[in-house]
Amino acid sequence: MNFASRLRKVPFWSWVWFILGALYFVLPLFATFEFSLTWDPANPLKAYQRAFEDRDFWETFLYSNILALATIIFSILLIVPTAYWIRLRLPEARRIVEFITLMPFVVPAIVLVFGLIRIYSSSFNVPFTDIQLMQPLTNFKAGTNILIVAGYMVLAMPYMYRSVDTGMRTVDIRTLTEAAQSLGASWYVIISQIILPNIRSALLSGALLTFAIVVGEVTLASFLGVDAFGPYLFLLGQHRAYEPAALSFVSFLLTWLAMGLLQLVSGGQGQAAGAH
Amino acid sequence: MSYLSLSNITKQYGDAVVVDNFNLEIAKGEFISFLGPSGCGKTTTLRMVAGFETPTSGRIMLDGEDITDKAPNQRTVGMIFQSYALFPNMTVAQNIGFGLSVRKESKEMIKQRVDEMIVLINLEKHAHKYPYQLSGGQQQRVSLARALAIHPQVLLLDEPLSALDAKIRVSLRSEIRAIQRKLGITAIFVTHDQEEALSISDRIVVMNAGLMEQVGTPFEIYNFPQTQFVANFVGSLNTVKAEVSDPAKGLVTVDGVQFITASDIKSRKKGDAIRISVRPERFSFAEIQKKDNVLDCTIENITFLGSVVRIQVKIGNSNFNMDTFNNPFLELPKIGSKERVTCSKEAVLVLDE
Repeated sequence: MNFASRLRKVPFWSWVWFILGALYFVLPLFATFEFSLTWDPANPLKAYQRAFEDRDFWETFLYSNILALATIIFSILLIVPTAYWIRLRLPEARRIVEFITLMPFVVPAIVLVFGLIRIYSSSFNVPFTDIQLMQPLTNFKAGTNILIVAGYMVLAMPYMYRSVDTGMRTVDIRTLTEAAQSLGASWYVIISQIILPNIRSALLSGALLTFAIVVGEVTLASFLGVDAFGPYLFLLGQHRAYEPAALSFVSFLLTWLAMGLLQLVSGGQGQAAGAH
Repeated sequence: MSYLSLSNITKQYGDAVVVDNFNLEIAKGEFISFLGPSGCGKTTTLRMVAGFETPTSGRIMLDGEDITDKAPNQRTVGMIFQSYALFPNMTVAQNIGFGLSVRKESKEMIKQRVDEMIVLINLEKHAHKYPYQLSGGQQQRVSLARALAIHPQVLLLDEPLSALDAKIRVSLRSEIRAIQRKLGITAIFVTHDQEEALSISDRIVVMNAGLMEQVGTPFEIYNFPQTQFVANFVGSLNTVKAEVSDPAKGLVTVDGVQFITASDIKSRKKGDAIRISVRPERFSFAEIQKKDNVLDCTIENITFLGSVVRIQVKIGNSNFNMDTFNNPFLELPKIGSKERVTCSKEAVLVLDE
């Protein structure tokens, strides 16, 4: 087949839209990268050197990664059984749950964080007494971490729920469950050995979106007073010009690297239905 | 004593009765088919045996044990689904061994049993393939092996051949029957395909609207249907309105043409309106064989159906189908010609509505 006939086979408009989409995505990234190199013409990587020399960068970035990981794990623990049970036994509850999962789109993060602070900044007492069960969650580090992960779970819920639900739609959850049950499998075995492996791609896309949301999130982290990567970038952006551009570019690459590794690790065993 | 017993099983969803007072005794090693149209309750009954549905009332006993309230994973029941339901993330061998690994059997035992099952279904070369790499027929064989691997007390087959093409369906049903006979396993097969049920079963349960219409061997079901529904559902049937003319002699009249029936109509009165039914293959041309009913007719239409030729004849004012085996030397009458057809009085059925 010669080049001309090959070219005729290329769906023209598909390529047009693909190139436009790619430009929309790549151009801002390229502009950021290009700007980050203009600080010192003698040393184009100066912004990167400065940024990496800062201990706060590494600490906040690592902390945000841990928060993202925790959010992904707890979101999966909450959302997979919920979506599974709704598909299996409570299809009539699907609309209600979908509505709930859409709430974070309607309720801004600032409202969420004020709600969290208002409720969890007072101590937990035995009802109608002054006996304190637990001090306010906002008063100690672990409590704040729990709050922020819970908040992130809410923010990531629309993406995670939709990814998982779509993944479950591609496999016949009900019949697979019944087949496993007839072979003697418990609920734990069904979810861990049948359901999760078959919605792996959906979980990965949900995890990717959650990761991106958490690593760049500013509002919750600022108001809860945690040293996360989002507020660090925000502060840096207010006082410096070149380092934030360099860091934005680097954090973008690191996020992609992390997700690539995740895909590599989880893609190693067998072939799931979703993969085909 | 029966091996599997379903006593007074009723299943209701709200006000809708899906299965109504179902009673059945199944012997060990027997192959039973539930046959009926969509929505007749056959799959629901099967799912109650599997434990996926709980009867509203009634008991299910398996080998002397009451399993009515047992969870599906506590019953040793193998199930085969129409959609195969193979686990897409597992290979053929892993699928077959799944039930055994869930039961915490040793690795050696699982391997041995999986090998045994793979040989049984003739898929030795495909043990390490994933379900998506197999054809529909192969997937269903894997599903069969997976269900059999756990040594089930009963094998339940929920329309397992419906998604397959005609040729594979025929060969796989013979294979299923052969394996079932070889292992001596008790099996319940749900189908809406009468040919499938007739060819594979020891006994058939014909169901309609949640009720059991008739239970019998394929021979009994086909040749001696007890209700109009069974006669209509199983095989082709000519059914026409008739009038009782002599109850004692079994004479009925269809548009002035007299038929004699072997069915008992003594309890009817002269002039009673009834319906008579005759299977198309019970008619033959009068020259070939003289029988009780010799009837003048006009040939209306002739349809070639492969192994069978269907001839539509008009007797009086009523149309009847008549089937005759095809052969290259068959001399067929001309359309519009006047002929004589005959059928035995046993062929003229008067059935309960």
